[in-house]
Amino acid sequence: MKKQHLIGYAFISPWLIGFLVFVAGPFVVSIYLSFTRYEVVTSPVWVGLSNYRRLLSDDPLFWKALGITLKYALLAVPVGIVAGVALALLLNLRVAGISIYRTVFYLPAIVPVVATSVVFVWLLNPQIGLVNQFLQALGLAPKHCPAWLQSTRWAFWSLVFMSLWAIGGSMIIYLAGLKDIPIALYEAAVIDGASTWQRTRHITLPMLTPVIFFNLVMGTIGAFQYFTQAYIMTEGGPEDSTHFYALYLFNRAWRYLDMGYASAMAWILFVIVMVLTIVIFKTHRRWVHYGG
Amino acid sequence: MAASGQQSSAPKAGRALWALAVVAAATLALSFAIQSPNRRKFPRRTPVRFWHMWTAEWKVVVDRIADSFNASQDTYELIALSVPGQAANSKFLLAVAGGDPPDCMAQWNPVIPMWADSKLLVRLNTLMTPAEWADFQTNTYPIARKIGMYKGDLYGVTTGLNLWACYYRLDHLEAAGLDPNDFPKTLEELVDVWAPKLHRRDENGSLVRMGFMPKGWSLYVPGFGGGFWNWAKPSDLTIDTPENLRALRYLVEQRERLGFDNVLRFEAGLQSGFGIDWPFISGQYSILLDGQWRVEQLARHAPEVRYGTAPVPPPAGGKANYGWSNGNFMIIPKGARCPAGAWAFIKFWSGLAEPARAAEFYTWGGWLPLSDKIAAAPAYRQYVRKHPQFQTFLDILPSENVHPTPPVPFQDYLADRIKQADETAMRGTLTPEETIRRLVREIETERRRRREFGHGD
Repeated sequence: MKKQHLIGYAFISPWLIGFLVFVAGPFVVSIYLSFTRYEVVTSPVWVGLSNYRRLLSDDPLFWKALGITLKYALLAVPVGIVAGVALALLLNLRVAGISIYRTVFYLPAIVPVVATSVVFVWLLNPQIGLVNQFLQALGLAPKHCPAWLQSTRWAFWSLVFMSLWAIGGSMIIYLAGLKDIPIALYEAAVIDGASTWQRTRHITLPMLTPVIFFNLVMGTIGAFQYFTQAYIMTEGGPEDSTHFYALYLFNRAWRYLDMGYASAMAWILFVIVMVLTIVIFKTHRRWVHYGG
Repeated sequence: MAASGQQSSAPKAGRALWALAVVAAATLALSFAIQSPNRRKFPRRTPVRFWHMWTAEWKVVVDRIADSFNASQDTYELIALSVPGQAANSKFLLAVAGGDPPDCMAQWNPVIPMWADSKLLVRLNTLMTPAEWADFQTNTYPIARKIGMYKGDLYGVTTGLNLWACYYRLDHLEAAGLDPNDFPKTLEELVDVWAPKLHRRDENGSLVRMGFMPKGWSLYVPGFGGGFWNWAKPSDLTIDTPENLRALRYLVEQRERLGFDNVLRFEAGLQSGFGIDWPFISGQYSILLDGQWRVEQLARHAPEVRYGTAPVPPPAGGKANYGWSNGNFMIIPKGARCPAGAWAFIKFWSGLAEPARAAEFYTWGGWLPLSDKIAAAPAYRQYVRKHPQFQTFLDILPSENVHPTPPVPFQDYLADRIKQADETAMRGTLTPEETIRRLVREIETERRRRREFGHGD
């Protein structure tokens, strides 16, 4: 048995070593670094709780970045869930060519986020972008079309809107969840005279809640790590309106050479995400139904 | 059955372990056997590893300079490596932290004060003879010293300075009845008299061609007699001054006259700004403030465009030949294995060693040199004769009224916040007075934090 264990560990050792060296190690070290002044190239200097105190009491950009990220999570995650479930329900219908529709809606999810971001910069261009040309074709005057990424008012919403582009990833999970619902439940409901809406409301959605729960947790974590799109498309602007938490953290670490401060930011983010995840887990018994 | 199963699984497990070990060893051996695509050309020479961030057509120029250096002597082999611009700083920092940095690096990000303050860079004046150091301090342009020096020491030698001047399209000026030989002497004349004759709008009133619009607070403050740093007597930041406020107010007023939203939409509709997509080439601007590298690009991509250049006129009573500048500069990190080779290359490229020969390198990239000696060299004069528009930039180059971002250890942060303040005022979100007050508060907060943590201030 011992030898078998050894072989098992040998086979997973590449991953284990990678995890210990590149994930667990830095994870633990960053706790210490968050209590230091650390500029990457010099030895860390212990500063106690100063990083945390300054962050919480004397850094307006920290609060602004946190607020923007929280707002994004509160908006983009539920919108993504509603749109993903709705799309999965539509793509679960038995119509001709449904496989093609499924493929088409899933395709954006496999496009690299950097490429998507660059394309969206052009799509959302206020003057020559396709989105505003479409709005103008609907009769909206050019001066009333949003300036999207160029506008302090619209830039954030542009990113929320853009988040729907890649819902194919979650949609495919919802679709798998829908396929898992026993057909007998629908047959029984039909015999009892339940309407389509009643079947959706009382069978489909409750049976889908484990999948919704999974996507809610993953979506919330992902929203708090939102970085690439803001980095490429807006660089946090205009006027800091898309200065997301992870972007500020990155700037502090690598541009302003403030690794200790950035480590403290990372740990605050970790605690927030952990608390939210725990809250979601605590509440899930009330609304998640596990079949049997 | 179970016992026999366990007995037979042991040799199987042994074989599997052996197989795993053989595969691992073979992979390792193969990785050593495969030759690097970048084989050394001069294996007997001392390697000098040089990192830069240029790509595409610019990388070709840098490789040519590297080849020239390798051909010029037989002690060092310069190995040039292009690293992705966005990751260059983090790669560099990690390389220094890991004890394996390049021997030198070409940079253009505002990093010298921050990295020098963190004791990351070699003081280049320690590699100079006293005569070389005296010559550098006397004969280089002020802006080259402002960019490369921090607290009296030299950390970066510029190999190409960037300056901004007005590019004007002759066809637009002629059509509007404006004489290019009588270019405005004041900013007010350019903005109030010339620009309105050049603006074009569509039937909805939207701008389709911009005559001229001043923008960029950092660029204009020196013309108004202001600036964010007292260069004559370096002591502290000078953000909240009447001159800086006057400059910001003026820029905001001009934006307001054209309409905040109108300008925003016009600018958003412009192409990328690179190469052939530059809006000056497409005719969306009649007069545009831009850098000297456009001269080379215009010659290459749009030789049919007839244009001229002129320094940005100062505001009435203001200072002439002014602006903001940055540039490409070479640094040597602490821990470099061959600082002597790196320094030899820096002197070779920058022209500190042989100005006449280095002049040629500057012409390959359309770069501005760091001293008169290079600008006066035959190769450079020939380049200017070929591109007479370049002379404007050479005229501005010796000016004391051209400044980079102040050399404080949080230079990158300061540059970000100034840019953000500029944006806030230009969009009309805050008044210029409020904008400056907020900027001062932000910088003070940052400095308080830095002082508390024992960072450089």
